[in-house]
Amino acid sequence: MVIVAVPSGGNGGLTSILNPRFGRCESFTFVTVEDGEIKQVKTLPNAASDAMGGAGIQAAQTLGNNNATVAIVGNLGPNAAQALGSLNIKLYQAPNQQITVKDVVQEYIDGNLQELSGANVGSHFGMGGGFGRGRGGAGGGGGGRGRGRNL
Amino acid sequence: MPEKAKIITVTGGKGGTGKTLVAVNLATMFKNAGKRVLLIDGDVENPNTYLLMNGELENKAPVYFFKPSIIETKCSKCGLCSKNCATHALLHVDGQYPIPFLTVCSGCKLCYKICPEEAIKEDYKTIGWTYETKKNNMDLWIGELKPSEARSAAVVEALLDNLKELLEKEPQKYDIIVLDTAPGAHCDVELLLESADLIVPVTEPTKFGKLDLLRIIELIELLGKPYKAIINRSSLLGFKEKFLEELERKDIEILGDIPLDDEIVQSYCQGDPLMDENSNFNKEGEGYKSFITIFENLNKWIREKKTASMEGA
Ligand code: SF4
Ligand code: SF4
Repeated sequence: MVIVAVPSGGNGGLTSILNPRFGRCESFTFVTVEDGEIKQVKTLPNAASDAMGGAGIQAAQTLGNNNATVAIVGNLGPNAAQALGSLNIKLYQAPNQQITVKDVVQEYIDGNLQELSGANVGSHFGMGGGFGRGRGGAGGGGGGRGRGRNL
Repeated sequence: MPEKAKIITVTGGKGGTGKTLVAVNLATMFKNAGKRVLLIDGDVENPNTYLLMNGELENKAPVYFFKPSIIETKCSKCGLCSKNCATHALLHVDGQYPIPFLTVCSGCKLCYKICPEEAIKEDYKTIGWTYETKKNNMDLWIGELKPSEARSAAVVEALLDNLKELLEKEPQKYDIIVLDTAPGAHCDVELLLESADLIVPVTEPTKFGKLDLLRIIELIELLGKPYKAIINRSSLLGFKEKFLEELERKDIEILGDIPLDDEIVQSYCQGDPLMDENSNFNKEGEGYKSFITIFENLNKWIREKKTASMEGA
């Protein structure tokens, strides 16, 4: 049995759309998968969606506290990547297109998603420029810019 | 009665406007005039005043920054620290030890103070250094942020703590203190502006120069500090007149302007301040003369301020 966490829009759920901004998505949908089938679905609002800083870390914490062992993500910053890594949560890259939680979990079950080894965007990527001086990728983060996605 | 040192902060909304050139040469002219001068380089991500003066970095002292570290033998995994950390720098999952994320930690020490088990050790990391040097008969303090660190304000604070201590212990050691800030209008610049008696924003006659000048002036006015601007590279493409007009319309007073000048470039390359009395630059050069005018205007301004404050008293 695995619990797959998917950052989702709105209140979450199987029919909601995957939100590529990991730390700042509106909700998380936790999907329990067993024997290649979706067994159970749970949703939680993302408490970190408008946190001042460390949103990725706080979001990772939510995943950890809900026993997720797999996360399917769009964009992942260095802090979030490191936090998920230290919780031994396996990361998979979502396809770069609008997709429902249900479909992306199915892609995962079918083995069509690539495993991700670390961050794929710099820090504060999803912040809409809130922080005064852009300062490249936060040092020491996990893996820098693994695989640049063309957005 | 001897007076307390006057603090003049040189700033600029944008990088490369010539802040450091102005700060070094103002300090040098005060020194020429027999004043006891301290120059502080607060552009901690890019300190280069000493290069302009052929100085060395001496008397290195580390700047420490709090870093939480968890003593696992004491920690009860209660998660209180994580719940209360405003920057979410402590990752805590039920049943596990919290994990600090130092890149987000603000160093506030709250976790250390509230941990019921005293399981957070008061630990420190070095995030930069301060230096104290003597060069050309003036004292030079420099702050330097360690590459890969992000908390420049903490290094600026270290410089200002030293300054505060100096002003308490020996308020009359210097007549003039010149502060050079980083470009921009962020929090470490604000700290240096707050300490100033007079502020001199340096700009250049371009659209970007104007926008950045207006931005920094907004901050200066918020802090309620007196300021007068200097326009560097004023002969640039003949924009000066129009630029001056616009500033006048906005009621921005000018201390003077510095034209493009080969000797300024040369002084940069040689690491000899243009205005040093021992330098052999042309005393009739346009750059040289412009600095003399600026210095006269600055002294006049200081005198006006003094009379005003005496009348006010
Ligand atoms: S507050 Fe102290 S005891 Fe509780 S989790 Fe944090 S470090 Fe451990
Ligand atoms: S020092 Fe402050 S910011 Fe850093 S981990 Fe502790 S509570 Fe959080």
